[in-house]
Amino acid sequence: MTAVSLANVTKVFNQGRPDEVTALSGINLVIGAGRFVSLIGPSGCGKSTLLRLIADLIPASSGTVEVAGKPATKARLDQEYGIAFQQAGLFEWRTVQRNVELPLELRGASRAERKARAAEMLALVGLADFAGHYPAQLSGGMQQRVAIARALAVHPPLLLMDEPFGALDEMTRERLQSELLAICAKTGTSTVFVTHSISEAVFLSDQVVVMSPRPGRITATIDVDLPSRDDAARQSPAYFDAITAVRRSLRGSDAAPDTATARDADAARGAGAVAAPSSRTPGPVSDAATAP
Amino acid sequence: MNLLRRVAPPVLLGIFALVAWELTVSLGRIAPFILPAPSAIWHELVAQRQNVWEAALASGLNALVGLAWGTVAGVLAAMAASRFRLLSEVSIPLAAVLNALPIIALAPILNNMFESTSSVPRRLVAGIIVFFPVFINTLRGLREVDPTHRELMTSYAAGGWTFTRLVRLPGALPFVFTGLRQASSLAVIAAVVAEYFGGLQDGLGSRITSAAAFTAYPRAWAFVVGACLLGLFFYLATLLLERIAMPWKTRLIS
Repeated sequence: MTAVSLANVTKVFNQGRPDEVTALSGINLVIGAGRFVSLIGPSGCGKSTLLRLIADLIPASSGTVEVAGKPATKARLDQEYGIAFQQAGLFEWRTVQRNVELPLELRGASRAERKARAAEMLALVGLADFAGHYPAQLSGGMQQRVAIARALAVHPPLLLMDEPFGALDEMTRERLQSELLAICAKTGTSTVFVTHSISEAVFLSDQVVVMSPRPGRITATIDVDLPSRDDAARQSPAYFDAITAVRRSLRGSDAAPDTATARDADAARGAGAVAAPSSRTPGPVSDAATAP
Repeated sequence: MNLLRRVAPPVLLGIFALVAWELTVSLGRIAPFILPAPSAIWHELVAQRQNVWEAALASGLNALVGLAWGTVAGVLAAMAASRFRLLSEVSIPLAAVLNALPIIALAPILNNMFESTSSVPRRLVAGIIVFFPVFINTLRGLREVDPTHRELMTSYAAGGWTFTRLVRLPGALPFVFTGLRQASSLAVIAAVVAEYFGGLQDGLGSRITSAAAFTAYPRAWAFVVGACLLGLFFYLATLLLERIAMPWKTRLIS
């Protein structure tokens, strides 16, 4: 069972105009059900665009995007996914509870059902006591938890997240990462998570998809196999190995467009180490965590 | 304590100004037709309280009707203009031209269109004056939609009227009230001033002109005070309505 499948997807903005930009090209990606997959890459590599293609917020220029075995548009209309952004995007005129209820309301759920589901979701993110508050009365981290509760309210099989913890401080961020993993494990939700933090991607994911810009494409897919997903995991060798692997892939994709100049510059300085790595691989790298 | 500190300075300033006014008039021997003393105005206000009250009711009703239809028309026009791009491009300069017109000057013309006993021309003038600030502010509010909200609603497959009802209208509410706060005082001014140009003799404006015509200046001033109080009442009522309509803002203050 696949949660998401993309085949030969490209995305071109402003097609046919002088300011035409190829945001994504040749994207092939299959995400299995129940998996936690992170998209990582430098700014402008198209990772958020890729997430929006999966969410059918923007159409693909070519190729096919399927979610839960259906075309992306059909999946969106069926609310097959929940989505959360960097901005919590809560509706300030609705109480916390009514914010979580909104997607259910639009589905035509009964009042009693909405209330019960919102209570369940708020308990899940540890905000049961704040149901009657307005968003402006909550801290940034709490708002983001409400946004996650809202994204999960319809019990979607897929959760899409666009740098949801990007605006939070490090402590809050780590706590929410652990909470998110617990929630995903409990609900069995597949997750696609966009981030530009290597440690965040490695800690959360079963699989880290590394992307490079101009045009955005997938340069490596790194499987992460941590012994556990708790604070001990942040100290484990497997964690550091995976971080090294992801970092190396990112460097590779960074240096790729101007490898030659990088080499020349290094030679001029007489530096021994060359930034461009030899281990750059165009296709998916399996078990790269063990690579030296 | 906090309340006292906030309320005390303007109240003290007001009392000081009244005392200064009283002393200037009595010590400076200023003729009452130039400027009557506050005590004389107060005396007239007490003596005429029944008349002031009835005149304020008549003018207040005109202002209220104008405020109501002007607001409804302003909000509906803003919704239409935000919906259709062409309409907003045409309507904004048109609304600016409308606003630049001395609308009060239309009152005598409108008076001729209706019977002399009709309150309709005053209500029309008040409404037209209310329309502009409500329209402009609401339109700005409707246009400012948080991009995250837009994407969320797309992800929920909610568009058109659902989107307007759940996101754009509540989001525009603070802007509507900004317009309404300006409009509430303007509506009273328009309703009172429109009475200067004849027609029914039941409101504050016509009372002011007739008292002045009879050189009863303290009485004219007493009705001016009535008009002030009426404008203040409208403004405060709008503030109260704003608090009731947007509980998520008030909760923060308390």
